[in-house]
Amino acid sequence: MRQRSDAELVTQARCGDREAFGELVRRYQRAAYSVALSVTGKHQDAEDAAQESFMVALQRLDDCRNADRFAGWLLAIVRNRSRNLIRRENLRSGDEIPASASSSGPGPDRMADISALRGRLKEALSTLTEVQREIVLLHDLEGWKHDEISERIGIPSGTVRSHLHFARKALRARLAGWKDHI
Amino acid sequence: MEDNDRVTALEAFDPARERPGYWEQFRARILENAAFELARRREAARETVAAVLSGWSRSLIPVAAAAALIASIMIVNEARQQRQPPPRLVLEDMLGGPLGESSFRAALGAGVQSNTAAFLAFVEEDTR
Repeated sequence: MRQRSDAELVTQARCGDREAFGELVRRYQRAAYSVALSVTGKHQDAEDAAQESFMVALQRLDDCRNADRFAGWLLAIVRNRSRNLIRRENLRSGDEIPASASSSGPGPDRMADISALRGRLKEALSTLTEVQREIVLLHDLEGWKHDEISERIGIPSGTVRSHLHFARKALRARLAGWKDHI
Repeated sequence: MEDNDRVTALEAFDPARERPGYWEQFRARILENAAFELARRREAARETVAAVLSGWSRSLIPVAAAAALIASIMIVNEARQQRQPPPRLVLEDMLGGPLGESSFRAALGAGVQSNTAAFLAFVEEDTR
């Protein structure tokens, strides 16, 4: 079956089509989470911001003038919500590491490893600019291509490459002791 | 530099690594929270369709009534014209003037009544 374009899904979601909106969520939930994480640096905040952003996007769907550029529009909402959330909950000590909710997940040793690695990564990411964090997460975590990132966050492709290069260099320098992981 | 240089350690940030089914639950939560807004949009879309149809009907009904009236007038006129017999063409009309009794007598006397064209030619000649 032909994959529906973002524009088609947006048009159907505007009329309350649950399945179309669900497909938009499925397509961009990971990217939304990554962008939120690049701003908040905390799992729980990123999750909240990403979820809220989808709700805001649905409520303001009629404002998305160019439905083909839904992804860029959504990610701008995610960025703003995440910044607002940080401002709002500045004093809140968030749960930075998602608690394991499944018995089929990794064992305690592995969990400790992941937790420690995540702490190091978070520290390393904090040395990057917000846009560098966003780009490196979208590229290396979500698997988006340079051109996709360029089009969706509205930055020239050459700049995306440049940000990615410096972000990776900085991360590698910070994660020097974890070479087997990077 | 597309994929070979990926910082794979970043995958540690994927919540699904520790929670299988995380993204399905994430999506389900959003859809659950969106249920009211989606229902509102469905309702608004239905109302919009109804409003468009009723808007059309408001302007369409008078136009249709006027068109029907004009059509019925035209049909009645047509029928009236069809009921009237076509005007008969009399010999005088064909000649452009009345014929005298002598013309008929002369024509009949000349024995040309069997052929209309010959008869007309004779009468025309005779009336000049």
